[in-house]
Amino acid sequence: MSTAVARASVARRPRAFGQRARAGRVAMWAVVLGALAVSLAPGLYMISLSFMDNPQLFAGRVVPWPPHAENYPRAWVASSIGRLYWNSIYVSTASMVATVAISALAGYGLGRIRFAGRGIVYGIVLIGLTIPLQIALIPLFINLRTLGLLNTRLALIGPYTAFGLAFGTYIMKGFFQGLPRELEEAARLDGAGEFGIFARVMLPLTRPALATVAIFVFLQNWNEFLFALTFLTEGRMRTLPTGIYALLSSEFYGNYPILAASLVLFSAPVLVLYFVFQRQFVEGLTAGALKH
Amino acid sequence: MLSPAARRRWRRHAAGYAFTGPALVVLAAFLLYPIGYSVSLSLHDWDGYTPRWGPFVGLENYRALAGDEVFWRATMNSVAFVVVRTPLEVGFGFLLALLLNRRLVVRSLLRTLFFVPVVMSLIVVTIIFQRVFEPNTGLLNTFLRAIGLGAWAHPWLGDPATALGAVIAVSVWKNVGFSLVILLAGLQGLPQDVVEAARVDGANAWQLTLRVITPLMRPILALTALLSIIGGLKVFDLVFIMTRGGPTYSTEVLATMLYREAFELNHMGVASAIAVILVTLVLSIARAQTFVLDEAPEGGKA
Repeated sequence: MSTAVARASVARRPRAFGQRARAGRVAMWAVVLGALAVSLAPGLYMISLSFMDNPQLFAGRVVPWPPHAENYPRAWVASSIGRLYWNSIYVSTASMVATVAISALAGYGLGRIRFAGRGIVYGIVLIGLTIPLQIALIPLFINLRTLGLLNTRLALIGPYTAFGLAFGTYIMKGFFQGLPRELEEAARLDGAGEFGIFARVMLPLTRPALATVAIFVFLQNWNEFLFALTFLTEGRMRTLPTGIYALLSSEFYGNYPILAASLVLFSAPVLVLYFVFQRQFVEGLTAGALKH
Repeated sequence: MLSPAARRRWRRHAAGYAFTGPALVVLAAFLLYPIGYSVSLSLHDWDGYTPRWGPFVGLENYRALAGDEVFWRATMNSVAFVVVRTPLEVGFGFLLALLLNRRLVVRSLLRTLFFVPVVMSLIVVTIIFQRVFEPNTGLLNTFLRAIGLGAWAHPWLGDPATALGAVIAVSVWKNVGFSLVILLAGLQGLPQDVVEAARVDGANAWQLTLRVITPLMRPILALTALLSIIGGLKVFDLVFIMTRGGPTYSTEVLATMLYREAFELNHMGVASAIAVILVTLVLSIARAQTFVLDEAPEGGKA
């Protein structure tokens, strides 16, 4: 085989010649599809359960036939999921907006201004990136209780804003750093101040990074469990995860299909969001992880 | 009078703090202050209800933990969580990343699908898996019986011998997609000419993977492992909802023990001590790892 052919054939794919290569391909697909089946089976099982009734469930069925779509309206009412949605959307969005705004500012400051003490500020951000948030649980609980803020939305919005901040600042800093210097100098010559440069010249260019931070932080807030469990001890302000958790100790625990339908309703918005924005999700994540 | 140059410098410092100020305030309030508070509270005895903290007890809470069998159980479980989970997560993730690292029409679709468990809420995942592991009609045992391995059917979460393994398996299941996505991006960022040259020199797929690609990927593999280790030590939701640390503490980890001590037993001082230990553990691992990374030839840029 001449080198030219070899080069052409290996440019992208493994050598696709011969039986061994074919066997390798079959093995590869077997592994990939097997892993995919394992990855997706539990989610599909949940959807399947949500269309069963209890007799089908106890018979150990996997396919829900005939389907029981009435589980969904019942789940909606039983778990008062409308209010849970509203609480979750409110809390997740408010803290997301705050996180994005504050981390854009901080990312610009750290990425583009050389000021004394910048290293220390960045160090604090990096600590925030690694530290287990559980450290804040007891202090915040006690202080919120003292301030009478338990069982309010504010009790979660503050901490959630902070929890996304380290990640957001980290991503925004990396992005601001990568922008060309000429832009800034041109604007400075035109007489723009630091904030003008930030708001009118730089910020519009960081839209992809802003989207990444927004989506990630929103998802993190949407799914957060421990703080919501601890700070919302009464039902009214509960967010979705704790609301669903409360179902486990309610009468519906015995009715698994209804619980499953609630889980589907809970997951649906996030999954839709994910499939719509999956490029920002995956690429933003990897950019953040690999650009240290 | 300040010279114009000095004034410009001052203005630059001021601008720096103006931009980072809001973030500093928030991080100070929700991160630095709680750390200080926890360290201080961990040296006191307090039930969490009397208006004032109880007496200063020095390291008594830490000493009590050192003599507490449950604490050691939780620590060992946290360690087991990391030691078992991280290699599986990074290993499977790397394997899949290697398999997907070629021109496939469906590659981005596959990547998207493998990432779905990462996006799913832990509470949803946990409730599903409780059902999957359910002894009589759950998916796993039903499947085992269907393929003639009924003898292996088992109350996975109810038996102290298998509960921790089952919880770790769920954790691996949820996070493999995360490793996969990072490692795949890393593979695509490798210097193609090096890989190419090895190929032209006649390296087969095995040699290529083991001798060329894996060493090049070392910094990214280390980073993925670090993220997984830290994530493993922090784990709470999964254990709390799935087993509540039981049966008989067989799945208790540091974070669930912290919660129990604080909010079920009202031992605020002891719980704070656990929080401090947890943070110290995570920060020292992160520190050690960055150290190792910086020592690596190309690690600094990872």
